Amino acid sequence: MALTDLRDKLVADLGRDGVIDDPAHLRTYECDALTGYRVVPALVVLPRDAGEVATAVRACAEHGVPFVARGAGTGLSGGALPTADGVVISLQRLRRIIEVDPVNRRAVVQPGVTNLDISKAAAAYGLYYAPDPSSQQVCTIGGNVAENSGGAHCLKYGFTANHVLAVDVVLPDGTPTRLGGDAPHQAGFDLLGAFVGSEGTLGVVTAVVVRLLHTPATVRTLAADFDSTETAGAAVTAVIAAGIVPAAIEMMDNLAIQAVNEAVDAGFDPDTAAVLIIELDGPADEVEERFAEVTAVCTAATRVTIARDAEQRARFWRGRKAAFAAVGRLSPNYFVQDGVVPRTRLGEALARIAAMADEAGLRVANVFHAGDGNLHPLVLYSEAAGEHERAEALSSAIAELCVELGGSLSGEHGIGTDKACSMPRMFSTDDLETMKRLRAAFDPAGLCNPGKIFPTPRLCGERPGPYRPHPLESAGVIERL
Amino acid sequence: MKPATLAELRDAVRDTDGPLVVRGAGTAAGWAGTPLPGATEIETTGLDRLLAYNPDDMTVAVEAGMPLTRLQAELAPHGQRIALDAARTPAGATVGGLVATADSGPLRHSHGGPRDLVIGVTVVLADGTVARSGGHVIKNVAGYDLGKLFCGSFGTLGVIAEVVLRVHPLPPATRTVALPCDAVEAVDAAGRLLAARLEPVALEWCDGSLLARYEGGPSSVERRAAVTPGTPLDGAAEAKAWQRVGDVSEEQTVVRCGTRPDQLPYVAKHATRVASSVAVGVHTVAVAGDAEVERLRAEFEHVTLCRRPPGSDLPAWGRPHTAVPLMRAVKQRFDPAGRLGAGRFAPWF
Repeated sequence: MALTDLRDKLVADLGRDGVIDDPAHLRTYECDALTGYRVVPALVVLPRDAGEVATAVRACAEHGVPFVARGAGTGLSGGALPTADGVVISLQRLRRIIEVDPVNRRAVVQPGVTNLDISKAAAAYGLYYAPDPSSQQVCTIGGNVAENSGGAHCLKYGFTANHVLAVDVVLPDGTPTRLGGDAPHQAGFDLLGAFVGSEGTLGVVTAVVVRLLHTPATVRTLAADFDSTETAGAAVTAVIAAGIVPAAIEMMDNLAIQAVNEAVDAGFDPDTAAVLIIELDGPADEVEERFAEVTAVCTAATRVTIARDAEQRARFWRGRKAAFAAVGRLSPNYFVQDGVVPRTRLGEALARIAAMADEAGLRVANVFHAGDGNLHPLVLYSEAAGEHERAEALSSAIAELCVELGGSLSGEHGIGTDKACSMPRMFSTDDLETMKRLRAAFDPAGLCNPGKIFPTPRLCGERPGPYRPHPLESAGVIERL
Repeated sequence: MKPATLAELRDAVRDTDGPLVVRGAGTAAGWAGTPLPGATEIETTGLDRLLAYNPDDMTVAVEAGMPLTRLQAELAPHGQRIALDAARTPAGATVGGLVATADSGPLRHSHGGPRDLVIGVTVVLADGTVARSGGHVIKNVAGYDLGKLFCGSFGTLGVIAEVVLRVHPLPPATRTVALPCDAVEAVDAAGRLLAARLEPVALEWCDGSLLARYEGGPSSVERRAAVTPGTPLDGAAEAKAWQRVGDVSEEQTVVRCGTRPDQLPYVAKHATRVASSVAVGVHTVAVAGDAEVERLRAEFEHVTLCRRPPGSDLPAWGRPHTAVPLMRAVKQRFDPAGRLGAGRFAPWF
């Protein structure tokens, strides 16, 4: 039997302590941070270096056994969900920072290195790694590459894809290769760009070359209170219309603020309807000029608090970054949603979400990257009260609402297992079949993280529903042939 | 053939037999390999409409045949631009052509290239399949990013029909400072400017000068320029200096290559002229002849041939880099019959 043979082969190649096969231990790997989906894998391997990753992948390929790479397991879309008859390749032992090169402003790191540890290693040279997902203390760079992770500051700085120069990968047949190069110029197709954000379906990363930036000379942050999310949203639009690109514009609604205040001492006004955190960074003169403009634009704010020092700024951010977890204080259970709408439709999206929540009889807290229209509605519910299905339906409906408003099913958490069945809302069959051609080029056998991104009848049943036209299609601006 | 709509393009691809070659404005006709003779030409310049533009969302959708200069003219009244300044833009380069060639200019230092600006594409595959990826929002991780895959594909994976781009604000003011220096000094000087955290939007070494351009508020750019070593350039001199950077692409034999930034001196020693985005390590290199191209390829992996004299029999691509087998596999899946752009990637495939 393939799995027994595979286990023996992996034990022989990686050693007894490189393979986990006892059921109790395997359960540690049954889910990522989207804990609603759980599947215990058949085996877990813990390679020590790129060579062992290649050995493990090749062995899986030869035995026809599916596999999924796993970093810290902080993903929120079930992207690292195992298959029951499959192997989890944990990259936790590949956590070496191979090189920090201050002259060329880059670092070479293994995939299990955490996002924040890259910046810590670079700090000695005044450099840092820009993308900053909220989980940056624990999430790994390999996972960031798989998900094309963003973060609060991607409004100005972009996403993982904009900060990775090259990746060493093991292709799904076990062949090691390198995508990208020493500079952002590739001879030929941008295979690196196609790989970043492919959610672990095109290969396993064994090393990442990341760009490092100099830390900005000046950072200025304010928190502005508003009497409604609409007026806060209008302020965001006004900032953007003034030609300002802040490093970050974050919004939290009252429910989220209440949760945050319970959890950490962030100092937000518990009675305000919405708060915007606006941060500008860059050369001192430029930041001061622009910060004055931002403050002027926030005239509709009921209160503006300008962080007087790094400590107060850190408090704002502690509050913002603690928001997801803090919601746990308001509700025994919650779903974290991730969708994107065109920024100009934020107000409409929030109103629709509020109405949908009322109709479902559930509370929704909103925390989001307002600058790029990336919503993170948190659907509060109680398992004990039997609200699970209603909450899940509301959460899915919110993601699909984002598509209806001309946006996207996901801004940064990925499609994974969670939203595969919603993909036909956003893409036609031809779109998805074309994407599958790319997958087939990398992974003809379909063994590398199967069941993710693309809807399957087994996973979705009748759920996906018919394709609905994009708003621009309805308006006659674009056509689908 | 010159289709004027997406439907006509789809029909042209589907209903024509035999090999096809895609052409935009023809400003990069000499890039990469020469298409094999006998292919039917599909020209995209009939697809030149603005599809959707909402300035407050900072995104714009266009048909691929729209010249970038015309798009910039549409955006400018709203105080916006596409942060892409490839040298061939004034010659009429189309948005689709710039994506297909992954071309960029000095703004790559701060904004990257087409891969970093394209947020959605519609493509027509060799079998007539019309497929979209990405969308109309900047932050979006749903599905594979075919827009990036098609960057640098030179019309060999499909015809780019529509492109959605992110836009950036036009800066209120700009200022350029020129510091005369050689290649070795340029690497050091660029590093010092970055370490001083002055955030230039472009840092280009060309014809013995390091050009640092600042953009932003009027007093901020003046103050940053004032603390930058070198001579601040007035309007006419500034325009001329950047014009010279673009002119490097017009020399007889030109390649674009990517290296570690500190490799610039090794690139420069093969060159007659260089326009180098020195801090990111992307160089436009004019050389004396084919032999110098071969030497650059022997030293560096990612070299794209952009221009060569008529009659040159220099192969378009050098030794295959490690991902070339994967490029072949992708080509096989997207265009199994090899209809599109045969010869563009010769001798690789």
